[in-house]
Amino acid sequence: MLGPSGSGKSTLLRAFAGLVPHFHGGRFSGRVEVAGLDTRRHGPARLAGTVATLFQDPEDQVVFTRVLNEVAFGLENVGTPPAEIEARALEALALVGAEHLAGRLVTELSGGELQRICLAATLALEPELLLLDEPTSQLDPEAAEGLVELALRLARDRGTAVLLCEQRPALPLEVSDRVLFLEGGRVSFDGPVDDARTWLEEHHPLFVSDGSDVGVHLHHLGEAVAKVDNVSFAYEDRLLVLDGASLELCRGEIVALVGPNGSGKTTLAKLAAGLLEPLSGRVARQGRATYLSQDPGRYVLRERADEEVAVGVSGDLRVAGRALAAVGLAGFEDRHPRDLSSGERERLALAAVLAPEPDLLVLDEPTRGVDPERKSELAALLRGNTARATLVVTHDRRFARAVADRLVSLAAERELMHA
Amino acid sequence: MRPAPAAALLFGLAAAALLARHTLSVAVLAVALLVVCLRAPVSRRWPYLVGALSSAAALFVLTPFVERLPGTVYWTGPTIPVVGTLDVTSTELSGALFNACRLAAVSLAFAAYALWLDHDRLVQAAGFARRSVLAVALATRLVPALERDASGLVEALRGRGVEPEGLRGKARLLSPLLAGSLERSLNLAEAMEARGFGRSGATRLPQPGWGTRERLALAGAVLAVVAGVLWL
Repeated sequence: MLGPSGSGKSTLLRAFAGLVPHFHGGRFSGRVEVAGLDTRRHGPARLAGTVATLFQDPEDQVVFTRVLNEVAFGLENVGTPPAEIEARALEALALVGAEHLAGRLVTELSGGELQRICLAATLALEPELLLLDEPTSQLDPEAAEGLVELALRLARDRGTAVLLCEQRPALPLEVSDRVLFLEGGRVSFDGPVDDARTWLEEHHPLFVSDGSDVGVHLHHLGEAVAKVDNVSFAYEDRLLVLDGASLELCRGEIVALVGPNGSGKTTLAKLAAGLLEPLSGRVARQGRATYLSQDPGRYVLRERADEEVAVGVSGDLRVAGRALAAVGLAGFEDRHPRDLSSGERERLALAAVLAPEPDLLVLDEPTRGVDPERKSELAALLRGNTARATLVVTHDRRFARAVADRLVSLAAERELMHA
Repeated sequence: MRPAPAAALLFGLAAAALLARHTLSVAVLAVALLVVCLRAPVSRRWPYLVGALSSAAALFVLTPFVERLPGTVYWTGPTIPVVGTLDVTSTELSGALFNACRLAAVSLAFAAYALWLDHDRLVQAAGFARRSVLAVALATRLVPALERDASGLVEALRGRGVEPEGLRGKARLLSPLLAGSLERSLNLAEAMEARGFGRSGATRLPQPGWGTRERLALAGAVLAVVAGVLWL
């Protein structure tokens, strides 16, 4: 299931799980039937086991602190005989290659491992319909591909139907049998993948293009705005996250920082922006730096969107209004930040860090939850400004190629490779 | 040790601190519980210890000013309308110390519960009111989640070049923190409902039986309450 942000993908997915209307309320008409069960008469708890949902953020769906208990939770709820619960939970963990994590605390796991545990918890229920709601948005491309392929293979082995909702269209177009495209709350396309490609090329070309056509970037490289020189960094556990990393960012250039989960991308970005101090080495900056956090839920301090953006510009609402317009949120000034969709929140956060007109702009995963058309607009917006240096941390290789002048790859061994 | 008897023991110690009449007894209980908490990792224990000890210290400082008890007067302050003349007497100070130790002991018993108990097993061991026990276990996890959210909000502010300075600056984070925790709880509730929570006929992962340590802990809990009533 593809479609722009706010097109109703998550709502439709939740309707299949009975969460719409039973959990979320609202006005509901028509009928949703899953395995012969009418969702108007059977709520989500009753549908559990028949339907299983893997949500976007693994941290928001974990109930217990130990992995085995987490996987067993759903089995307990649907009344699995006690003698079978542990065996089925372990079997599900083995299916996702996480049997060795059974006794671990969920707080000790990486995002990718945690999402695998959540997948095991859904598979343990042996559902007839598996709903995947952007399950890879927190993962790097390799982990994302691995998770989706694993989910689909296991589901196919068991004859389970899978509805996968994704913002990154490349992977679904490779692995799915059929594509739904939603726009404005309506299904505008429903057909096989090959037909979908043709339809998308005609109606939404950015969903199938490589996204690189965003205009000409003026290569006027100026002086160095930030120099990260041979820095090392460790968090409280004292394990070195970065060891002797160096990076120079010049005015007018856009650098994409890529690499697998846990390779230290965010740490390097925070060091460049001045949010962290290195253990050793030196970081020098000229002018003002702003940093866009991975989590747009952190830009919700005020009750109006324009006031939130104005926080970084001493409350100047005119500057805030211009920043909102630049990210396509004109007319959203009086909206509460929490009332915005995830894609709109991402753009609000971007406006908040653009408003101060920084000399160094650091964006940490700015395309999470953003559809391809908005990504293209974002790339054009970033490339339209040559007065600053921009560092983009991203898992999204297509976006990196589209926006960046230079790609810096941070490998698991903490080595920087420039291209 | 299994979590149910450990929770009972901590509850017994907290009850003993509330029932005891001697400052020294309550202070010993508070110190013992502090030692237990100090054995937890630094990164996990500090929010609990700061909360428990700062509230106890605040109680000790404020109590003499709001109480009016006879005794040796150590300090006499200005006269404030409604409250009267501020003073600090020996009786007020000893009462404040007693209450502060009592609050510290109860808070530290909760901190030890949050830091050391396996909440999963506590929930699974709950023979009745399992939903309530699960709600308490999830609420216990709120403290570190709030701490993470608070540092995230501060980081996002600093990323815009704004330092949240002073009490007023930090107080402004309270409202978004509260709203964020409500949003998080809604997401969790949705995920739990989607996994069948609340459905009738739920079963439970089998749990191993109690050993000697568990029985001793339960006996210790009863003994602590009795000692609190009779001797402490």
